[in-house]
Amino acid sequence: MSVTTSAEASAERVDLGLLAVGLEERFALSVSLARGEGGIALSITLREASRLPALGKFLFWEAGCSWGGLIVEELEAHWRLSYVFLAPGSGWVEVLLEIPGNAHSVPSISAEVHAADWHEREVEDLFGLSFEGHPRLGDFILHDQLWPEGVAPHRKPHRKAVDAQQAQLRHRPNPDWQPLLVVKDPGSFAMPVGPVYEGGTGESLHFLLETVGEDVVRAAPRLFYKFRAVEKIAEERGVMEGLLLAERFAATSAFAHSMGFSMAVERAWNLEVPERGQRLRVALAELERLRHHAGTIADICGSTALEVAASQAGIIEEELLRASCGLTGHRYFFGLNTPGGLTRDFDGAGLKELQKSVSKAARSLHRLEERLYFTSSFLDRVEDAGVVTPEKARDLNLLGPVGRASGQGHDLRRDCAYGGYENYDFAVPREKEGDGYARLRVLFEEAYQSAGLIGQALEHLEPGAVCGPLRAGGSGVALGWVEAPIGAALHWVRLGDSGRIERYRLITPSFNNWLGFHVAVEDFAFQDFPIILATFGLSATECDR
Amino acid sequence: MSFWFWHGLRNGIRTTGYPRVPETATGVSPGRPLATEFASAGEAATATAVCPTGAIVADGKTAAVVLGKCVHCQRCRFGLQQPVAWGEDYEWTTAGSRGDGFEPLPVAYRRSTHIMVVDAADCGACLREVKQLNNPFYNMHRLGLFLTATPRAADVLLVVGPVSENMRGPLVKTYEAMPAPKKVIAVGTCAITGGVFGRTFVSAGGVASVLPVDLEVPGEPPPPLAILHGLLVAMGRKPVAPRESYPTERTA
Amino acid sequence: MSARDWTNGALALFFLLSLSGLVLSKALRGSHSRRALVAFSCVCSVLMMLAAGAALFSGQGVEVSLWKIAGVGTLTLRLDMLSSIFVFTAGLVYLPASLYAGNLAQWRLYGHYPLRNYGVLHFGLMISVVVLLLAGDTLTFLIAWECMSILCYLLVNYEQSHRSDTRAGYILLAMGEAGFLAVVLAFLIVGHGATGWSFEALAAASKQLSSKAAWGVFLLGFFGFGVKAGLVPVNFWLPRSYTAAPSIFVPVLAGVTLNLGLYGILRLNGDLVPAQSPAMGMVALIVGSATALVGILYATTESDLKTMLAHSSIENSGIIVAGVGASLVFRASGALVPAAIAMVAALYHMVNHSVYKTLLFQGAGDIEATAGTRDMDRLGGLARLLPVLSVIFLVGCLSIAAVPPFNGFVSEWLTLQSLLRSAVLASPGERILFALCGAALALTAALAVTCFVKVYAMSFLGIRRGQWQPHTSASGGQARFGLAYLAIACLLLGVLPTYIIPVLNRAVEPLAGASAVESLVPPFFTATAANQELPPAFLEDFHNLGAQSGRRWMPGRGLVLLVRGSERNPVVFAASPAYSLIALALFLTVAWIAVRRGTRKRKVARKELWAGGIPRLLPQMTYTATGFSNPVRVVFQAVFRPNIVEDTRETVAVHFRTAIHRKREETHLVDRLVFHPVGDAVSWFARLLARMHHGRLNAYVAYSLGFLLILLLLYRLS
Repeated sequence: MSVTTSAEASAERVDLGLLAVGLEERFALSVSLARGEGGIALSITLREASRLPALGKFLFWEAGCSWGGLIVEELEAHWRLSYVFLAPGSGWVEVLLEIPGNAHSVPSISAEVHAADWHEREVEDLFGLSFEGHPRLGDFILHDQLWPEGVAPHRKPHRKAVDAQQAQLRHRPNPDWQPLLVVKDPGSFAMPVGPVYEGGTGESLHFLLETVGEDVVRAAPRLFYKFRAVEKIAEERGVMEGLLLAERFAATSAFAHSMGFSMAVERAWNLEVPERGQRLRVALAELERLRHHAGTIADICGSTALEVAASQAGIIEEELLRASCGLTGHRYFFGLNTPGGLTRDFDGAGLKELQKSVSKAARSLHRLEERLYFTSSFLDRVEDAGVVTPEKARDLNLLGPVGRASGQGHDLRRDCAYGGYENYDFAVPREKEGDGYARLRVLFEEAYQSAGLIGQALEHLEPGAVCGPLRAGGSGVALGWVEAPIGAALHWVRLGDSGRIERYRLITPSFNNWLGFHVAVEDFAFQDFPIILATFGLSATECDR
Repeated sequence: MSFWFWHGLRNGIRTTGYPRVPETATGVSPGRPLATEFASAGEAATATAVCPTGAIVADGKTAAVVLGKCVHCQRCRFGLQQPVAWGEDYEWTTAGSRGDGFEPLPVAYRRSTHIMVVDAADCGACLREVKQLNNPFYNMHRLGLFLTATPRAADVLLVVGPVSENMRGPLVKTYEAMPAPKKVIAVGTCAITGGVFGRTFVSAGGVASVLPVDLEVPGEPPPPLAILHGLLVAMGRKPVAPRESYPTERTA
Repeated sequence: MSARDWTNGALALFFLLSLSGLVLSKALRGSHSRRALVAFSCVCSVLMMLAAGAALFSGQGVEVSLWKIAGVGTLTLRLDMLSSIFVFTAGLVYLPASLYAGNLAQWRLYGHYPLRNYGVLHFGLMISVVVLLLAGDTLTFLIAWECMSILCYLLVNYEQSHRSDTRAGYILLAMGEAGFLAVVLAFLIVGHGATGWSFEALAAASKQLSSKAAWGVFLLGFFGFGVKAGLVPVNFWLPRSYTAAPSIFVPVLAGVTLNLGLYGILRLNGDLVPAQSPAMGMVALIVGSATALVGILYATTESDLKTMLAHSSIENSGIIVAGVGASLVFRASGALVPAAIAMVAALYHMVNHSVYKTLLFQGAGDIEATAGTRDMDRLGGLARLLPVLSVIFLVGCLSIAAVPPFNGFVSEWLTLQSLLRSAVLASPGERILFALCGAALALTAALAVTCFVKVYAMSFLGIRRGQWQPHTSASGGQARFGLAYLAIACLLLGVLPTYIIPVLNRAVEPLAGASAVESLVPPFFTATAANQELPPAFLEDFHNLGAQSGRRWMPGRGLVLLVRGSERNPVVFAASPAYSLIALALFLTVAWIAVRRGTRKRKVARKELWAGGIPRLLPQMTYTATGFSNPVRVVFQAVFRPNIVEDTRETVAVHFRTAIHRKREETHLVDRLVFHPVGDAVSWFARLLARMHHGRLNAYVAYSLGFLLILLLLYRLS
């Protein structure tokens, strides 16, 4: 297990000045550089759309940036596309491309930046904007079996459709739909799993396990059964309603996402979060991470049918949930974040209780990890399950614990510090094997680091306000980012003059990581499938939004 | 390997005494807003205005609560000068939209019921709470509740989430694949009234628009004990609160 | 009329009618030819059964002398008990096969081959088979064998339009000739000191054979006949020929000609030159067990229906030969009663195999005519299209998987039980080998169940996996009659073993030297003399247990016993298919009534298949035959040794996987170990010899001179 120290992190730093110089050299006439707004450090305006793939390749592969996401807006007369990259240690870099409103397609960068594959597919499904050179568009969010061709629900005319009385799209399953099967062996078949499966509490996902009988050659997941169009619902709503949506679309990371949204609004409206509010935010975010990882560990133990370990991890998770509820009044931290800080304060006794619960949980996790280390039957099952090599992880830009287990050391708390994290002393664990056991080790180590962070945050807590004054600041554009338990999440908002949300773009770590899942599930035994799913710990609801 | 045995023994029995005795540990339930008698109609109106989903309905100085719409944002608890009354209980199950009264499962199912859980686009919290029912604290197996993977062997259909368009078909298929007698329990505010997602072109706004619902367990999310209470009601081991106990008729 | 007259008359009428049938089916045209073929063939098969039946049930054989050839001897036809069993089985199988030969649906598949030629070959084969089985002297035997071999080749290559098919027939011919040569050599060795060519003379001469000569005769005869019987080192022609042969001929190929190899082994190594040392029997036992195991392994992993059934025939042949081998070992060790039991088991299995394999091949032919494909990966859902065939095919699958109350169960049980009697053998090495072979046969039985579950489920159940459209030109009523007749025969052979075993015993007694009836069919069921192995007190106990229950109203008390242990403490193994059939029927009826009464208030709702909530279960989402049997392929990887020929992964834009091509090739074990090495060696030797043929006349003259000199030298030296 290697742990990224600050020194190593700074070695991977991308210097914006050098980046700008490189851009000038290569793309002199096609780009113009400027300081970004709303949290973006460098904004690159691209004048020629045809140079987009080359620019993407330069930023991702040569400059060493990490992929953030694609933000598409349909404005009055044109499309605004913003490709967001992360320059570790320096901030966010954005490639701005504006194309006329009647344009139908944009060059695809997915041949160079493979992690952008799904982002472009999503835009095509929801906006109808095509990407030239993309290997596979269509049948992504709007399943071909159900949705007729040409429906672009996120486009302007559809704003009126977001209304209870107007759900008038009649869908009939398309009888001619055939799945895209990849294995061309004569005796192969594709076993369907889902969307309703897993003996109880699995999320709604569909897999086609292509197999020739003994082991599975390829498993292709089909997501977006849980698509609720959160981005669309948020339009024309106020900030406080948007906050509710941000909390509730993926409730196991509710605090992290609501913090991301709040930070975006704070940036757009120039709101200050007082010191105590920041420290409490850090403590609660890490508490959520600790509880989330305990739950993932319980799922991993359950998937290998080591029921005693699953029960013990379940006890830790439930105790943390109860501790959360005892302090904040809600087991999943609903209603805590608000633009400007937290909605309420906590007294010293409550915080001491919390500290005790956290220490106890960390100790229990230590004991559990030790026991698991000595259970060879368990290790046999998680080792070499769903291997993702470091090259593939870099290629597909895997985030969060999954990425870190395959050598991708990015963590927004370190690489693009927010909310006061630069003042804390913590380590970011990293592994190289990329198998299930590596992911499990990373989860444990991160949980311990979170417990340490909570201690640090609560240690020097000065009395004071937890929330700054909330002044609606009119129109603005801002990016909020947060390291959610599953990985880096981006919340991008454009607020209108009346303070209403005009566009809300939500880029979640599960959305990025599910693409990497395809790589991990080639050539494995049937029985390893639930284990690979559990060790990835991905959330379908976070991906589907 | 035997250390697991000692490890488990050393951790002791954590199981709650519910339903025999009420559970009083802290943190088992977020609680819920109760109908409140305010000092003035203005305060009641303020309470009504602060609720984002219209779960608080003012009638003069009294503010009644439609729990099926409450999304647990806690603004009426922590965001008001005069907060609403708050109850720390967890037995929230009411009869569903089915209309002809609620009948529990026959006597044969009192001690053994199989549950089919369908995730109809929920946020993850309700599903996680259902999952907690299997941990040592709640241990639903001791009450004869089991999860099945196939609807053919299921007696109770537990639906979480507001039913997205893509999950509507699978949900209906699951319901039709279950043999009678069967009960449908809508767990969570999203499954009852759509929660913050409401009724849109991709969300049906609750299970009631898709299936006949027998029981509703409100809350976002309802804690495991509330879900357990709902299941016990379905089995006939606990009485159900009738649908008409809300002062105003719910608008869906 | 005495039985002998019946036999003679039936035989004479048989030859007459078969020859006229041969002429008529060539002379007539169109549907008349077809009807003549079917009619005459059916009558001939009935006559075969009549002749053999009369001989068997009366216990009297016949002997007819034909022509006398100067310098060689008299050609005789002799129907003894062993021959009559084989003739009866052949007749049993030829009846439905004849009905099937007129199957219009099949003829539409190969429309441009004239039926008239088929009729000629068909009757020719029938005549040569009967003459072979009735042969009483070597020359008749060998001539009939050769005719049968060539006619088989012509029939297998009947549809010559596909190149791979002709290659199959060629291999059949080549192997057949090789086997024939070995057999001729064996006969020559025996006949070296014999007075004449008749079988009696050979039997007398065999007593003077030296040990080495006896071994030579055994090995040559065993492997020579083993070619036709489909034994392991020499059976690589079998799967190819069965797959290539037309569907109307394959039932005959599997049900009749396979048995001829067994007949040859029994005749030469059992009757004429009985195996003297137990080691010979061990060879037969080991070869038989290995054949069975290899056959079933390849059958389980094969997805072409006909090829799978061919491998299954290899498996069954192996079981029969294993039984024969056990019998030879017991006999050579002096344990005559176990020898008789083992031989009864082998003959019973031979009869059973003929019946159910014919049924399965006919069913496979019907499936091919309906679906247009034999690939089980593409079939599925036939139970709706062919309901009657699905029931009958199920009976066939159950029989071959040895499920009571059908016939496969009785013969497999008897074979395994006879192997268990190895305690009477003296040498521990022999006992260990018996145990190992018994284990191999048990594994074979288990794999057979897997294999036929796969066959039935993949062909008939589920949904249609391929793109074919059904041709529902059903096989006519006459072919259905044939199938039903075979299914009923399967049931009867399974339920009435106590009637079949005494009949088989008539042939077994001269071969094994003892009667098996007293051990297998207890005296309180038949009227034979009291058995010393069963003391009266034991009989009394058995009686009180209810062994006699139902004696008055149940005609066939199918209870088969094997007795072991001492007189004071007899140990009994019993199997009663008849009782189990009645118990099964009773149980099912009672259960059905109970369920109907108990659930009278319940309504049964019929809903769609549950598949996880997907809109429709597509055919590519259901199990294929390859997938079902893949675990077997993986477990026995050392046997199969698949070569991964192609494993390419295509991607677009580096990361987007579009296709994964995997192709696997497997060479059959026997091909790998025997056929290819032998072929390579022969090619090498031929290339070596080819160097001599360079075309220069002078060299050839030198060769002749050299050869003359060597001959003169040898003459001088001798």
